Amino acid sequence: MAKRKLAGAKKPAAKPQTSVQITGNQQGSKLENVPARAPRLLIEDEDEDNEDGDEEGYIDDEAEEAEDDELEYESDLDEYDDEDDVSEKFEGLLDGAISDSESEDEASDDASEGDGEEDDADANEEALHFGEDDENEEHEDEAEVIKNSVSDDDEEDEYLSKYSAASEAESLSSISSDQDDSRIAYYTAGADGGPRPIYHEIDPHYSSDDSDLEDMNTIGNVPLSAYDEYPHIGYDINGKRIMRPATGSALDSLLDSIEVPEGWTGLIDKESGADLKLTKDELELVKKIQLGENAGDVNPYENTIEWFSSKTEIMALSAAPEPKRRFVPSRHEAKRIMKIVKAIREGRIVPNKPKVRPEQMVYDLWADDLQEQQPHVMHIPAPKLAKPTNDESYNPPEEYLPSEEEINAWNETDAMDRERDYLPRKYSSLRTVPRYEDFVRERFERSLDLYLAPRVRKNKLNIDPDSLLPKLPSPQDLRPFPIKCSVTYRGHKGRVRAVSIDSSGLWLATGGDDGTVRIWEVLTGREIWKATVGDDDEAVQSVEWNPVKDSGILAVSAGEKIFLCLPPIFDDETEVAGQELLAAGWGYAAQPAPVEHINKEQQCKWIKPSTKLASQGVDVVIVCRKTVKQIAWHRRGDYFTGVSPEGANMAVLVHQVSKHNTQSPFRKSKGIIQRAQFHPFKPMLYVATQRYVRIYDLSTQSLTKALQPGARWLSSFDIHPQGDNVITGSYDKRVTWHDLDLSTKPYRTLRYHTRAVRDVRFHTRLPLFCSASDDGYINVFHGTVYDDLLRNPLLVPLKVLKGHTVVQSLGVLKVAWHPKEAWLFSVGADGTAKLWTS
Amino acid sequence: MRIKKKHQAGAAKNFITRTQAVKKLQLSLADFRRICIFKGIYPRAPRSAKKANKGSTAPTTFYYTKDIQYLLHEPVIQKFRDHKIFARKLSRALGRGDVSDAKRLDENRPRYRLDLIVKERYPTFLDAVRDLDDALSMLFLFAAMPASDKVSARVTEDAEKLCNQWMAYVARERLLRKVFVSIKGVYYEAEVKGQEVVWLVPFKFPQNIPTDIDFRIMLTFLEFYTTLLQFVLYRLYANAGIVYPPKIDAAKVQGVGGISAYVMEGKREKESLLQTSTTKKAITESEMASRAQTISTVLNKITDHAAGDTIATLADDDDEEEVTETLDKFTALPSTDTVISDIIPQPDETSPEEIVKTLFSPFTFYVGREVPLEIVEFTILSLGGTVVSESVLDGYLHVDTDALPDAEEVDFDARQREVDALLKKVTHQICDRPALASRVPGRIYVQPQWVFDSLNRGRLVPVDEYAVGATLPPHLSPWGDGAGYDPEDIGKEEEGEESEEEDEEVEGDKEVEGDEEEIEVDEEEEDEEDEALQHQRELESEAKGIIYSSTASKKRKRADKKPKKSAEEKQAEEEKELRKIMMTNKQKKLYNQMQYGIQKKETRRETLKTKRRKLEKNKQNKKRVL
Repeated sequence: MAKRKLAGAKKPAAKPQTSVQITGNQQGSKLENVPARAPRLLIEDEDEDNEDGDEEGYIDDEAEEAEDDELEYESDLDEYDDEDDVSEKFEGLLDGAISDSESEDEASDDASEGDGEEDDADANEEALHFGEDDENEEHEDEAEVIKNSVSDDDEEDEYLSKYSAASEAESLSSISSDQDDSRIAYYTAGADGGPRPIYHEIDPHYSSDDSDLEDMNTIGNVPLSAYDEYPHIGYDINGKRIMRPATGSALDSLLDSIEVPEGWTGLIDKESGADLKLTKDELELVKKIQLGENAGDVNPYENTIEWFSSKTEIMALSAAPEPKRRFVPSRHEAKRIMKIVKAIREGRIVPNKPKVRPEQMVYDLWADDLQEQQPHVMHIPAPKLAKPTNDESYNPPEEYLPSEEEINAWNETDAMDRERDYLPRKYSSLRTVPRYEDFVRERFERSLDLYLAPRVRKNKLNIDPDSLLPKLPSPQDLRPFPIKCSVTYRGHKGRVRAVSIDSSGLWLATGGDDGTVRIWEVLTGREIWKATVGDDDEAVQSVEWNPVKDSGILAVSAGEKIFLCLPPIFDDETEVAGQELLAAGWGYAAQPAPVEHINKEQQCKWIKPSTKLASQGVDVVIVCRKTVKQIAWHRRGDYFTGVSPEGANMAVLVHQVSKHNTQSPFRKSKGIIQRAQFHPFKPMLYVATQRYVRIYDLSTQSLTKALQPGARWLSSFDIHPQGDNVITGSYDKRVTWHDLDLSTKPYRTLRYHTRAVRDVRFHTRLPLFCSASDDGYINVFHGTVYDDLLRNPLLVPLKVLKGHTVVQSLGVLKVAWHPKEAWLFSVGADGTAKLWTS
Repeated sequence: MRIKKKHQAGAAKNFITRTQAVKKLQLSLADFRRICIFKGIYPRAPRSAKKANKGSTAPTTFYYTKDIQYLLHEPVIQKFRDHKIFARKLSRALGRGDVSDAKRLDENRPRYRLDLIVKERYPTFLDAVRDLDDALSMLFLFAAMPASDKVSARVTEDAEKLCNQWMAYVARERLLRKVFVSIKGVYYEAEVKGQEVVWLVPFKFPQNIPTDIDFRIMLTFLEFYTTLLQFVLYRLYANAGIVYPPKIDAAKVQGVGGISAYVMEGKREKESLLQTSTTKKAITESEMASRAQTISTVLNKITDHAAGDTIATLADDDDEEEVTETLDKFTALPSTDTVISDIIPQPDETSPEEIVKTLFSPFTFYVGREVPLEIVEFTILSLGGTVVSESVLDGYLHVDTDALPDAEEVDFDARQREVDALLKKVTHQICDRPALASRVPGRIYVQPQWVFDSLNRGRLVPVDEYAVGATLPPHLSPWGDGAGYDPEDIGKEEEGEESEEEDEEVEGDKEVEGDEEEIEVDEEEEDEEDEALQHQRELESEAKGIIYSSTASKKRKRADKKPKKSAEEKQAEEEKELRKIMMTNKQKKLYNQMQYGIQKKETRRETLKTKRRKLEKNKQNKKRVL
């Protein structure tokens, strides 16, 4: 079994050699195997070697080589022809030794291998290596040759190299032929009868190929069995017979087989004819090979050797010869270069062409010439810089040059806050103008503005500011209205707080802080009557003529008292009628009052005046609990209201002259009451608190409306003679016009006074109204109310009457319209009353 | 109804803060800035910053969201990103010392072009021309800047080239309308394609460069402006039938530089120039390259026939054409009852603009070497004049023979003769010196301001005020004064007033007879009061020992006139005040805002007027003393 395995193991090792032989390139092995060959063959071998070294292979040469090889085989065959039978005998011998079942062919193969196994190992490897190399090169060369047929240049090279190779070969052959004769010692008669050259004994010196093969059997591939009949088993290198080693008797061999000596294999060494002994190690190796394991003494885990490291080695790592391609100019590159050359010749490539900067490529960008479009709504183009003005000139008119103070002011202000970023300078001529220091900075800031400043679209109204003024009829067309001060009534000491004109329009009554009531003749300004009513210089708060014609009654409020006077300025009839009217009440008052009125009676007493007052013309005194600030008559002249803001629920009291009776219309306090007034012709009472104007229907005793002027503190209000419109004045400088048909909110709110509005008044007959203020001015308006409900009232400011002086920040305190004319009476803090006429 | 969430619509959607925008675009802040400059994207001030900022009142910069959205697809941004990668690769290659790699990378660096952005920002050519002001000012500044570590020489060269091309175009087409020499520099206004283009050119001095200026911003702007102007110039040149870029006359660059070096060659003429070499132009064309010093070329160089020669000759050609192609007059049919014919406004040959174009065409100006040539030359050429520059002549006559490239013999006598012939043509000499040693008879000597004022006025200003050494009349801005103050009108007014007074005295008698008796009555009352006052004053002044002069009485007369005038005015004013009462609050606010501006202007006008009066009084007093 062991033998069989061995033979099987040998097979793969033999295969490479056969494959090499098929390629027909076994020069190396041939040299070794056939050392004593005809000189011709030897020369040819050298020739081939040379050509290999030349590294240039050609098909023609290859063909020659192939022919040579054939010749070689032929010669070999010639040599061995006569020994054919012998070889068969050898085969049989080996068969018996190795394996019975092996076929003859295999056996012959194996035997031939077995013979030169060790010797050929290296050579085979070499041959294999060379063969591979040659193969590769052959392919390359073939390709090259095909290419060469295309390019002429290459062909020249080929010829040159070929020629040189041939000449080299010739010279070598001549040398070898010279050496041949010297090797032959003498001639003897050969087997064919011809002379047989006998060579000198070869002295295998060191440089010889076979120096290490002493006593080598040289029978080659001939099986050893062929020498069975002879005492020798072959020949050594010198052609001397190698004698068969002595073999023991059959018994010896039997003994040997029983007592197996060390290393016994049962094989016979071909070389020596003796038993082939293998050591333990060798057997182990064979076993390993059989198992396909790694045959050598190899450590699979060896340390890595860093062949290629950062260290620079002095010697080259690889001893591999430099490949051919390193020395030969590359055809591929040459081809590529030729391509470029051709392109340059044809002008497809322009060498050293100056590079065109991409930004320099200019063309007509707006060739398509679009129609101008409206820019996007959200696009805000950057504003252009302001055009330079005269003061930027290098030679401006002299008035533009800044004065000392202006220069100082400019220097002191921060650069951010300056209106202009330069100071005007004047240079006498162009040559003296220096550079502008901030030029770069200004450009830079402009750049910053362009990309950094938030933009906002500001709609600049390019309109005449006067067009904003409302279109109104000219005041000239709305005459008459008071224009100028005609009469000034002087006499009061201190402020004049109250004014009233009697229904005939002839007598003006005023009352002031000095506690007096005075009556003036309107046209002349003469003081006709004067009464001191206030105790301890109590100011006269309000003065009102009875609206009934020729009644002659004047109601005066001073402090907590209301005085009903009959000034002795009218004719006797009027006076008597008045006295009778006032006196009639005493009778009613004497009657026992109904139970519910008792309390009120107590709060408000109707008493007869003192003799002093009576002599001054006062007929009745009504004593209230709080200061009566305002009096307002009913149109019939029988009732009047007294307003005392501090009176809480008794702030508004309605007094009846004919019955000396006082009623309190409100149970509860409605806030601080400022004013109260009767409707011009309806049974209605208008009451102004600080913020609202409430309208009460007296017949149903209910609240019908509450106007909201929007002011913080109303000072006064007045009702239009037609009753549908109300104006209010307030301490916060507002005058509002309410149209009762529209809303409780004002139709117009006007702010033109610079100080608190003290009084507002409608003219009873003409479409006029006015407002008086602490700024000392009286504004006169035209206010038409149309019967057509769809038309809004027309308000036209007519005139600002300026004449009253402001004393202690009080201006005009009260105004009153003349009952017929467009005349206006006003009293002020300056102690005068004035008549304004048209 | 669904409840609307806050900050989901309206201003909150329309505006995006800068930080958000940068994040959205995935750019660095510097790149964002650059793309904003290129694309002309700017922050907005939303009506309500609080709404836009989703309720926060922190101060923020807002951009319009759609602007940023458009940017997302901007190819230039992609190039920015490529450049970032390129920079990284390059720095790595350089760090490794891989020079060849670095060189290769540098050669293939990603480059962007701005032409499409220009087109996007200015869809039509007129849009682009309209927005040239800033571009030109910036380019002219960089043209005057020295190359430094921040500003490369290439940049300044490019800027200068573009500026000169622009000026050459404006001069050739005679588009210059206004010049104003200010303390900052020279303002020019040209009318290009019907658009007013105003730009500022610094004086030719080294610029003061503040240290705290970020040149990257300015250079980014410059990059865009350069591209813009290139394309605008290309189109302008193409429309004018000139080759762009214009060739540069090498000889002139050495001589003067500036616009005179530009050969403005027509597209049509080009072929003919190449064929006929006898004309002067052809010589400039063909021989300029080979022999820069031939007589004829140098002649060009001196005369500045230039700009002179090439521009003027071409312009001559144009003129000839104009002569042949005189404008047809479209006379409107007289309108009848049935047909109303509109009268279309037609170009008028005698319009001031046309006059300005040829204002200087008969003149040749000799410009002294002390005069800034680039300003004067540009202006004169734009008005059709011819310029001879002293500095160029000097260079021509006193040529350094050693420095010549080919050792050519210079015939100085011949040159002298040429120059003499040239100088004979000179009509005006512009000089800026306190005095002149010698004068050439037949020449008019003026200071440079005469040129500017003539252009601004649109006529030849009298020369005597601008004589050498004379005190110049003030140089006024052609755009007038912001406050509406006209110093020239003031001068006229005062002259007028004196004559008016005399007239009115005569008229005054007639008026008394007229129907204004009422007013007269009033006046008399006032007069009485005034007289009393007058008497009092006289007495006082006599006591002090001063003669109460007649000027005072004149004043009085003037004072008399005033109330008469103001009575009506007063009434009108009063009425106005009354009407103001009826204004709504909104109207009132608006009105007051307007009044603020008006008042400001008014006060400025008044202060200037009073200053002027004071100055004139001082002058008169001085005269009297003398």
